[in-house]
Amino acid sequence: MPDELPIAETSSAVPVAESASPCSAPAGDHRRRDALALAIAAAAWFLPGLGHALLKMWGRALACFSTVALLVILGAGMRGNIFSRSGEDAFAKLGYVADLGVGSFYFVARALETNGPDVSHANGDYGTRLLATAGVLNMLAALHAYEVTRARKA
Amino acid sequence: MMPPHEFRLSHFQAMVIFALVVSVAFGFLSRRGAYQRARYILWSFILFLVIGVGIGWTMYPFSH
Repeated sequence: MPDELPIAETSSAVPVAESASPCSAPAGDHRRRDALALAIAAAAWFLPGLGHALLKMWGRALACFSTVALLVILGAGMRGNIFSRSGEDAFAKLGYVADLGVGSFYFVARALETNGPDVSHANGDYGTRLLATAGVLNMLAALHAYEVTRARKA
Repeated sequence: MMPPHEFRLSHFQAMVIFALVVSVAFGFLSRRGAYQRARYILWSFILFLVIGVGIGWTMYPFSH
């Protein structure tokens, strides 16, 4: 299964500079790999699972996409608070950062939540947490894709 | 009437879904191989539930 192979061993993976160790690679290869890693991290953030899909890690891509999508659908369905840029306090600003972590799914959540948030009940409060969890999980997945591309992780 | 895409979950249902989804994501991101992943997911899921229920019971005396 391609998902089991480290990135350096997958012949069909995104071409990264082949080097025995990061220290022995030329500076140009480092820069190219860093730029590629940033692009893959941005793709992973924008669409959950896309970063790992570009790295041909299909299992991880599917897991990232489905878990983030499920959390967003549940969070919006439970009428959780989707924070906007105009947050008044530090918690609202932090919530906005966490919600932005889902990338394009932020707009999906807003579109799903037609009746607006309702945090007067525990259900809506849980929804807020699920939405924030989706964002943080997606940021973690993007960081993982970044590290894999830089050959720091398999 | 509740719209079709709205969900009403109990505290326990929300915790179970949260624990399961986060465990699956952690398992796939941090482990390789089906067996290692399954073990990690199961272990993480159980710990989420046990610690969540444990914290709930710990707070119970202070709620009265």
